[in-house]
Amino acid sequence: MSTSSSTSGILAYAIGSLARRRAKAIALGGGLAFAVALVAAVLFLSDALRSESDRARAAIPDVVVQRLVGGRPAMMHAGDVDLLTGIPSVRGVRARVWGYLFLPSLQGNVTIVGVPKNATGTTETSRLSEVQGTLAQGRVLTAGAHEMVTGAGLAKYLGISVGDMQGLPSANPDAHPLTLVGTFSSKVDLYAVDVLLCDEDDARALLMMPPGDATDLAVTVTNPAEARVIAKTILARLPGTRVIERDLLGRVYALAYGRRAGLVLAASIPALLALLVLAWDRVSGLGEGERREIATLRAVGWSTSDVLAAKLYESLAIGVLATAAGIVMAYAWVFLLGAPGLRATLVGWSVLYPEAPLTPMVDATQILGIALGVLAPFVGLSIVPAWRAASTDPADVMRGG
Amino acid sequence: MTDAAAHGAFDVALRRRAGLAVVAFVVAVALLAAIVVDARAKRAARALDQPVIDAVAHVLPTSDLALSGGARWLRAPSLEEPGAAFQDGPALPDPDPAGGIMAPPRAVWAAEVTRP
Repeated sequence: MSTSSSTSGILAYAIGSLARRRAKAIALGGGLAFAVALVAAVLFLSDALRSESDRARAAIPDVVVQRLVGGRPAMMHAGDVDLLTGIPSVRGVRARVWGYLFLPSLQGNVTIVGVPKNATGTTETSRLSEVQGTLAQGRVLTAGAHEMVTGAGLAKYLGISVGDMQGLPSANPDAHPLTLVGTFSSKVDLYAVDVLLCDEDDARALLMMPPGDATDLAVTVTNPAEARVIAKTILARLPGTRVIERDLLGRVYALAYGRRAGLVLAASIPALLALLVLAWDRVSGLGEGERREIATLRAVGWSTSDVLAAKLYESLAIGVLATAAGIVMAYAWVFLLGAPGLRATLVGWSVLYPEAPLTPMVDATQILGIALGVLAPFVGLSIVPAWRAASTDPADVMRGG
Repeated sequence: MTDAAAHGAFDVALRRRAGLAVVAFVVAVALLAAIVVDARAKRAARALDQPVIDAVAHVLPTSDLALSGGARWLRAPSLEEPGAAFQDGPALPDPDPAGGIMAPPRAVWAAEVTRP
């Protein structure tokens, strides 16, 4: 028993046992790997989406003010800006002109964003030209020249390239066709693939927005920690408006992607339960041959702990390899292949998908959490019946008792 | 074959099996470690894009991802969803249903402030 009782001997016996029942081991390990892959892929994808949303959050205004009429968003008025600029701690209030325009050829909306003119008569796109790499092609807008910068995906879908002029299907006959002068970099595809940036006057014409009206007001404050107090003051000065603080957006993103992930996982529960039932049946229902094998081991001098160790190694061998394979499959599925079959469920069903790859937020803690969450119940399922069989008198088992 | 030779061959077979198991375990751990390293490298590369993201996000209405552009009001859910009077259409699946099995991280709730 000196060799068999050693760790390597027990491990070798466990591997040999798996090899003898390789069909069962492959079926069990394969099922476990696919279940882990599904759960891990959903977690990886939702984490990646949430982190991408958070990545751009710092650049947006501290507070956004919208008017509601009958529960629906309505236009803000020019006078509203003056009511807010006097609030202490408010650094600036900007009336923003943006909205959606339905393109029949796309069968979807594009986001029209109007860029205001600054004091010098040029458009407020200085940051776009200051930072290297914001545009994949072309240049920023020139005020009054009826130009546009779009997401690369939108330009591709419309079949236009830099220098081309495109008339957009606005209900306003005075809306001027716009010349494409640049496309956003693929680095911002996730945020701007459906965006059409143009002069504010052109945006008003396309969206049929009267001069002086605005879609919403962007408020920047000197101390972001005071945003909540300022929001209350804004509500007091502009009753009937909706005030959205930047800090709350983190919660919105967590909820949006957490819920979507939860929905997918909830839909997968029947499949996961079926796998667990199968695993329980396969692992707990020791066959006659296995029980005789355990009885023989006990008869030749193996202790109960030796038998349990052998069964533990068997379960760990299947569980560790299947979990690792599942996590690797999930990672490849989401971040190498772009999550085909899963992306539309979690991401949405836009006709104009950003093609940019997602950035993985996977770390050792997350992988360890998934591995332990799978391995602990799996190993537990296999040890209990083995302990029962090992505790039975070998003679009884041999006699078929 | 003598008993000693048979035992020797048996021990070699045992050692080979044990070695195989250890190699498989090491490969599995190495693959997982490779994922962590690859993810970290991709995050570092993405961090270099931050100035570009900030510059473009500055001119956009929201930081919402352009994932549901065809889905009417849902293009910018953070700005539009709280007051959305209707879903995309009657009997259509709700892309952002109320309620889910997976709760948001606790830190999000801890940081939550009551909407004024």
